[in-house]
Amino acid sequence: MNKEISSILKSVSKPGRYSGGEYGQIIKDKNSVKARFAFCFPDTYEIGMSNLGMRILYGVLNEQEDVWCERVYTPWVDMQEKMKEYDLPLTACESGDELREFDMIGFTLQYEMSYTNVLNMLELAKLPLRSSERDDSMPIVIGGGPCAYNPEPVADFFDLFNIGEGEEMLPELCRLYIQMKEEGRYTKEAYLHEAARTITGIYVPSLYDVSYNDDGTIKAYAPKYDDIPTKVTKRIMTDMDRSYFPSKVVMPYIETVHDRIMLEVFRGCIRGCRFCQAGIIYRPVREKSPEVLNDQAKCLFESTGYDEISLTSLSISDYTELEALTEQLLEWTDDNKVSLSLPSLRVDSFTKELMDKIASVRSSSLTFAPEAGTQRLRDVINKNVREEDLMRAVGVAFAAGKNTVKLYFMNGLPTETYEDIKGIATLAEHVIDAYYKCPERNRSQKPQVTISVSCFIPKPFTPFQWEAQDSMETLAEKQEFLRTQITDRKIRYTYHDARVSRVEAVLARGDRRLAAALELACREGFKFDAWDECFDYDRWISVFERCGIDPAFYANRAFGLDEVLPWDIIDCGVTKEFLRRERDKAYAENTTPHCREKCSGCGANKLGGEKTCCPKIAK
Amino acid sequence: MLPENSKINEMARLKKLQKIDPPRNIRLKFRKVGSLQYTSHLDLQRTFNRVIVRACIPVWYTKGFNPHIKLVFSTPLSVGAQSECEYLDIKIDREMSCGEIMERLNHELTEELCITDVYYPIDDFSEIGYAEYDMKIHTVGNSEKMAEDIKKILITSPLMLTKRTKAGDKEIDIIPLIKSIDVRYSSDEDTVNINTVLRASATEFLNPEMLVTALKNSLGILSTDLSKEWYEIVRKEIFKEDMAVFR
Ligand code: SF4
Repeated sequence: MNKEISSILKSVSKPGRYSGGEYGQIIKDKNSVKARFAFCFPDTYEIGMSNLGMRILYGVLNEQEDVWCERVYTPWVDMQEKMKEYDLPLTACESGDELREFDMIGFTLQYEMSYTNVLNMLELAKLPLRSSERDDSMPIVIGGGPCAYNPEPVADFFDLFNIGEGEEMLPELCRLYIQMKEEGRYTKEAYLHEAARTITGIYVPSLYDVSYNDDGTIKAYAPKYDDIPTKVTKRIMTDMDRSYFPSKVVMPYIETVHDRIMLEVFRGCIRGCRFCQAGIIYRPVREKSPEVLNDQAKCLFESTGYDEISLTSLSISDYTELEALTEQLLEWTDDNKVSLSLPSLRVDSFTKELMDKIASVRSSSLTFAPEAGTQRLRDVINKNVREEDLMRAVGVAFAAGKNTVKLYFMNGLPTETYEDIKGIATLAEHVIDAYYKCPERNRSQKPQVTISVSCFIPKPFTPFQWEAQDSMETLAEKQEFLRTQITDRKIRYTYHDARVSRVEAVLARGDRRLAAALELACREGFKFDAWDECFDYDRWISVFERCGIDPAFYANRAFGLDEVLPWDIIDCGVTKEFLRRERDKAYAENTTPHCREKCSGCGANKLGGEKTCCPKIAK
Repeated sequence: MLPENSKINEMARLKKLQKIDPPRNIRLKFRKVGSLQYTSHLDLQRTFNRVIVRACIPVWYTKGFNPHIKLVFSTPLSVGAQSECEYLDIKIDREMSCGEIMERLNHELTEELCITDVYYPIDDFSEIGYAEYDMKIHTVGNSEKMAEDIKKILITSPLMLTKRTKAGDKEIDIIPLIKSIDVRYSSDEDTVNINTVLRASATEFLNPEMLVTALKNSLGILSTDLSKEWYEIVRKEIFKEDMAVFR
């Protein structure tokens, strides 16, 4: 750590975010490596350090001897002020070197509201924001992560995007870079073209021209060369058992969001809730075998000393070998005082047996996500959960002595009526009733049900990708209406700020024309928009206005079913026809069985994959 | 050291050894410098918990519903101060030599946070009376005169400072809490170097940061550009009431 930064740290909050020096960080000789990669997480240290994807990719890049990958996080507002005062550039954790010195800078795009932080970090790094303004001497700027499935709003700032899983793609990008440098044929232009041409999953936005119709919708995408794909197909790791998984991690000194071992049990989700982007873009489901997982968990325990293992996957109880896995883990975890935690339980899988097994989990409160208040609306969104399932699950929990339950819902879902909203309150009341009906309940305590309601945001690559988001006024009315429906003091009600959800909807479904707004936002100092204390809706509206952008065009307009969508340039494996079919079924209030019950022909099986439940395609 | 993938077996092996009852106290002396100066007490506790597990130390766990490792630290150190002399007591309930404990722990630590000695405790933490610090003040120009000013002010009691206590702010004279102080100007780096021994008992404690604050307030130093003017504090030694080195 240089002296200058060290002295400044005495005057900022949480200096441990910036002091570095963690056990487990990877230090290499910068003069002997051939490519330096700055892996940027556009949020605070505590959040970034907890991200499993970043842990994996940091490890995978550093596996290559001649590549040195370092970490970078967004300095908090007070630190940024100091950096400005003393004219200090953004630096990487390990070496303390400026980002400009790196060969490649990769950003993981986990949520749309972090876009302003991406630009903020480029600015702190004293790099031009736009790809077109960065020359051959500057680092290549790469984007990846879930938001890269609609990269268009930030397309002008990135040189290239990784679409899909990066474990192979990123090393391939490094290899190509090193090779072209060594052969003396590196120019940024040549590199980008070569990457787009030869590496599956690489999208280079500058190599595609976008034209627009008179009504503002997109007319077409036109590749500038014949030898690059007209649609970029996402990359997946086909065999998760053989896929790289880190055996050690960088150990933070300060407390982070997830201070624990995160075991990725499988990728994807068999369910297909119609609002859920993750459920589509990570298809097909690919499982790991319990033996591999157990070995990885042991290895991580020994290298970290963490006392908790969290099984992180979407809808964890859908893992076909959960029983075998927990059994193998429990053989050694109890003895070593390591506890298991299973987040994201579905109510239909919440059983007494499971609860007994995870009894060592610190008395955390229980969380379920019915998402909608009535069976009708739950059918519309394909959340195959019935009220009986929920009542049975909370019954098990209450009988085991629990008295608090948290329930997640969404307002503004397509076809939602006031009857559905009323249903949210009714459902919460039924949970309270279930508590008093439970003979084994903890009689010394009162039940408490928290209902947390977010706003529906239409997301790319979901059956609801074409839907209009409710106007803010409508959302506010709905939120207020629900408040009037809740009369029991044992029910706590919280809801998301509709204004944030609206900006998120704009950024989620935006196209390249949003670049102007994001650039202006950055110039005006926008940052940490995912944080309530930093988000300012009126300033966003002002920025949109001054750039001639109508937020309603992106958020509150129903996109035409035949319209060219900004993200049509990406092929996530799942076909548009499938999404369309699912949308029709939603309006008909019909559900779709999950992938293990019956394949619905979404198309993702064309990507291949081991330990999936998809029908194999003959090669 | 232990080969990878064998720690779980190693823990199982240790468990089979004869139990020491009651568990034995072990004192760890450690260094906390560089980046680690910004690690808070709570974070340090968390870190040691994990380090002890990683190192396969046959540590004793508290009984009861939520068994945990018992860690007892000596004199608190404020965030932003470094130390060559921190103490942590742990208990083990299976035999392991002090040398091996030290080797195992250091394998899991870095230069900036490492164990410098491991032994069976001799003194009790309650016997601690004083702590010695080295401080280095970097300023722009005039350091020589500043050293003189600091010397002067430190012999004129009272030197009042506001101390935050639970019962509200309190004005105290810090001079009686300074056992000895040596102020020198060093031309090498143009710094004022202070070596001082401050009161560090459970009831009377002078945080070295407070000494710097007092100097700041009364001399107006260290008030401007952080990039040019800053200070470092390193705790060097801990003493008992009779000024014998704490062991
Ligand atoms: S191909 Fe069939 S089984 Fe596979 S993800 Fe799609 S719908 Fe599910």
